[in-house]
Amino acid sequence: MFKLSPKLSQKIFYALLFMATLLVITPAAIIIYIIIKNGASAITWEFLTSMPKDGMRGGGIFPAIVGTLCIVLCAISLTLPIGVCAAIYLNEYAKDNLLTRIIKLAIVNLAGVPSVVYGLFGLGIFVMFMNFGVSIIAGALTLSIMELPVIITTARGALSGVPHSFREASMSLGVSRWQTIRHIVLPNALPGILTGAILSIARISGETAPILFTAAAFYVPHMPTSIYDQVMALPYHLYIISTQIPNMPKNIIFGTALVLLMMVLSMSLIAIVARIYFRKTRKW
Amino acid sequence: MKRKIIDFIIEKIIFLCGVLSIVFVVLIFCFLLKEGVSFFKDYDVFKFVFGKLWYPSSEPAQFGILALIVGSIYVTAGACLIAVPLGVAAALYISEIAPAGVRDVLKSCVELMAAVPSVVIGFVGMATLVPFVRELFDIPTGLTAFSGSIMLAFMAMPTIVTISEDAIRSVPWSYKEGALALGATRWQTIRRIVLKAAMPGIIAAIMLGIGRVIGETMAVMMITGNAAHIPSSIFEPVRTMTATIAAEMGETVRGGMHYKSLFAIGLVLFVITFSVNFIADLILGKKKRK
Amino acid sequence: MVKIMEKIDKIKVENLSCFYGGKLALEALNINVVKNEILTIIGPANSGKTSFLRTLNRMNDFDANYARKGAVYLDDENIFYMNPEKLRKRVGMLFAMPIPLPMSIYENIVYAPKRLGLVSKKSDMDDIVKEALQEASLWNEVKDRLNSSAMKMSGGQQQRLCIARILAIKPEVILFDEPSSGLDPISTAKVEESMIELKKKYTIVLVTNNVKQASRVGDRTAFFLMGKLIEVGKTGEIFVSPKEKQTGDYITGRFG
Repeated sequence: MFKLSPKLSQKIFYALLFMATLLVITPAAIIIYIIIKNGASAITWEFLTSMPKDGMRGGGIFPAIVGTLCIVLCAISLTLPIGVCAAIYLNEYAKDNLLTRIIKLAIVNLAGVPSVVYGLFGLGIFVMFMNFGVSIIAGALTLSIMELPVIITTARGALSGVPHSFREASMSLGVSRWQTIRHIVLPNALPGILTGAILSIARISGETAPILFTAAAFYVPHMPTSIYDQVMALPYHLYIISTQIPNMPKNIIFGTALVLLMMVLSMSLIAIVARIYFRKTRKW
Repeated sequence: MKRKIIDFIIEKIIFLCGVLSIVFVVLIFCFLLKEGVSFFKDYDVFKFVFGKLWYPSSEPAQFGILALIVGSIYVTAGACLIAVPLGVAAALYISEIAPAGVRDVLKSCVELMAAVPSVVIGFVGMATLVPFVRELFDIPTGLTAFSGSIMLAFMAMPTIVTISEDAIRSVPWSYKEGALALGATRWQTIRRIVLKAAMPGIIAAIMLGIGRVIGETMAVMMITGNAAHIPSSIFEPVRTMTATIAAEMGETVRGGMHYKSLFAIGLVLFVITFSVNFIADLILGKKKRK
Repeated sequence: MVKIMEKIDKIKVENLSCFYGGKLALEALNINVVKNEILTIIGPANSGKTSFLRTLNRMNDFDANYARKGAVYLDDENIFYMNPEKLRKRVGMLFAMPIPLPMSIYENIVYAPKRLGLVSKKSDMDDIVKEALQEASLWNEVKDRLNSSAMKMSGGQQQRLCIARILAIKPEVILFDEPSSGLDPISTAKVEESMIELKKKYTIVLVTNNVKQASRVGDRTAFFLMGKLIEVGKTGEIFVSPKEKQTGDYITGRFG
C-alpha cells in the first residue's frame, strides 16, 4: 500500500486540524455577521428607549432591556457572595474528607443540571411554594442557583492562583486564617473573581429557559416597581417575537437579537481582555 | 475580643455557603421527585418511559415519553457526530500546533462562542439554516432533527474544545520529549503519545459536551419542529424532552396531571445529566489523582 | 559574691516526636534553647531539622498529614496548649525564600501589627516602620521609597524586609529556616550580620545547610541525622572536637 512519508502526513494532518479549527470558529463569525447585517438598521435611540407598539410589531424594546437588567443584577448580587464564600471554604478551609468530596460532586452536578430543569425547580419552589409568583425575585433566585457552580469554580481558580507562600508568610506573623484571607488572599484574587463574575453576568443575561416560567412576561405595559413584579426580558422577548407573533418585521427581530448579542458579547469581551491584562500586570 | 467573635461568625457563614451546594442539589432532586412520584401514583412508570404516545391533553391523556427520549437521542447523537471530531481536532490544533499568540486569540474566540445565548442561536438557525435545509434536501420542512443537531453541535463545541484543550496541555512535556528525541515527527508524537495520554480528559470533555446538548432547550425548541412522534430519519421533525417542558409548562393547570408529568420528565433529565456528569467527574478525578 | 548573668532556657523541648503521614520525621528530641543565643541546627536533607523548626511556631499545624508527641515549653508554657496565633506572634519565622507580600515596603511592615491590633495611629506606624527597618539594617537603603512595591527589591533586601516584618511585631524568638539558601554571598553576609546584632534582643534558632554559616554565627550547634539529635554543644567544641564520629564526618564534608 502507498505510504506517506512522516513529513508529508504531518503537513496533511496539520492542515486538517487547522480546517477543523476554522470550522469551529467561523460559524460564530457568520452568526454574528448575519445578526449585525440584518439588525443594525433597527437600532436607533428610539428602539432602545421606547415601549413596544402594535402587538410588538413596532416601537422599541426598552422594558425588555430594563427587565433583563433587573433580573440579572438581582441574581448576581445573590450568587456572587455565596459563591465566593463557598469557594473560600473549599479552597482555604476544607480538609480532604468525605464532606468535601460530596460538596465537590454536588457542584459538578449543579453545573450539569439542564437550564429548563432549573426553570421547573424555580417554578415549584419560588413561584408556588414560597408564593413569590412569577416575579423578578423568583427568576433571580432561580438564575442565581444555576450560576452558583460557575461562580464557585472561577472563584476557586482565582483563589488558588494566589501563591501558597503568601498565606504562610502572613500566618507565620500570628495573623489569623480569616484575616489572612481577608487582607492577603482576597485582594489578590479579586481580579480573577470579578472577571469571572462579569462572564457570569453575560451568561445569565442570555438565559431563557430558567426565567420562562419564573419571571418573564409576554408584555408588561409599565416598568417594574418592586422585585415581586413580572417583567419582560430580552431573551424571552426574542423568543416570543421570533416564534409566536406572525408577520413580525424581520429587522425588529434581528435588532432585538443584536442588542442581546452585543450585551452578552461585550461583557464577555471586557472580562476576557481584563483577565489577560491582570495576568500580565500581576505583581508576583 | 470583638475581632475574634467576628472572625468566628464569618468562618461559620463561609462553611454554610460551602455546604449550600449540597442543599441545592438535594432540594432540586427532592422537588422533582415529589412531583414525579405523585405523578407515578396515577400513571404507570413503565407506560411513561416506554409509551409511544404523548397526548397530554386528550381524553384519556397519554403520557408516553419514548418519542421524546428518541428525539433527544437523535439530536444529541447528531450533534456529537459533528461536534466531537471537530472539537477535539480544534483542541489539538489550539494546544499543540498554533503559535502562542494565535492560541490566545483562538481560546478567547471559543470562550466568546460559549457566551452566545441559546435563544440567539435558535433564532439564527430558524432564519437561515432551516430554509436552507428545506431547499437543499427538498423536504416539506427544514425544522428537523438534522438542523437541530447542527446548531447544537455548535453549542457543544466550546465545552469540548476548552476541556479537551486543558487535558491535552496537561500532558507532561517529558512524554513528548521522549518521543521527539527518538526521531518521531511532531505529528506522530501528538497522535501516538499526546492523544493517548490525554484520552481520559478528552472523554470527560465529550461527556460534558453531551450533557450540555441533552439539557439544551431554547435552540432545540425553535429548530427541531416539535413533533412528538418517533422519527424514521433525521430529516423529520422531532421533539426533545427539554423542549416539551419549556413549550407546554405555560399551558398546564398547576397541580394537574399534565403539570406533574412535566416534572417527571424533569426528573428523567436530572437523572440522565447527573449520571453523565458523575461519570465524567470520575474520569477527570481519576486522572488527577494519578 | 558577684552574680554572673544566669543562663535561662527560653525554649525547652521534651521528648518531641513528629510524624508525616505516620512516618517518623523526628524522634524523641530533647533540647533547650538558651535566651539570647543563636542555636544553629545542621544536618543533611531529611534529618528532621526543618520539621523541628516549623514545630516551634506550629506552622506544621496546617499540614493534615502532620502529627506530634511530646512537649515544647516557651518560658515554661507548653506551646501546644497555647493559641497558635499568640504563639506565632512571640515566635517569628523567616523562610528559606524571601516572601514579601505583594504590597509596598511600608505596608509589608505594618501589615501584621495592624492585623494584630498593635497599632492604629499613623504616627505609631511610621515609628514602627523606621525602627524595624533600622534594626534589620535596611533603613538607609529604602527610606526614600517606602511606598514602592516590595516585589521590586533585590533578593537580599527582600529577606531583610522579611526580618523587619517579624521585628515589627516584637517577637521573643526568631526562627531562621535556611535564610540564605537563595542569596548570593554578599547578601548572605548582611543577613548574618543582622542575626548577630539581633541576638542581643532576641533568641534565635537557625536551621542551615551551610556548615560554615553555622560555625560563623552559632553560639551552640546541634547536629541532626535521620530524625535524631546526634549531638549538641558549643559551636567551637562541635567543630573542633566532635564527640560523635558522624558529626565529624558531616562537618568535614564526608557525607551529606
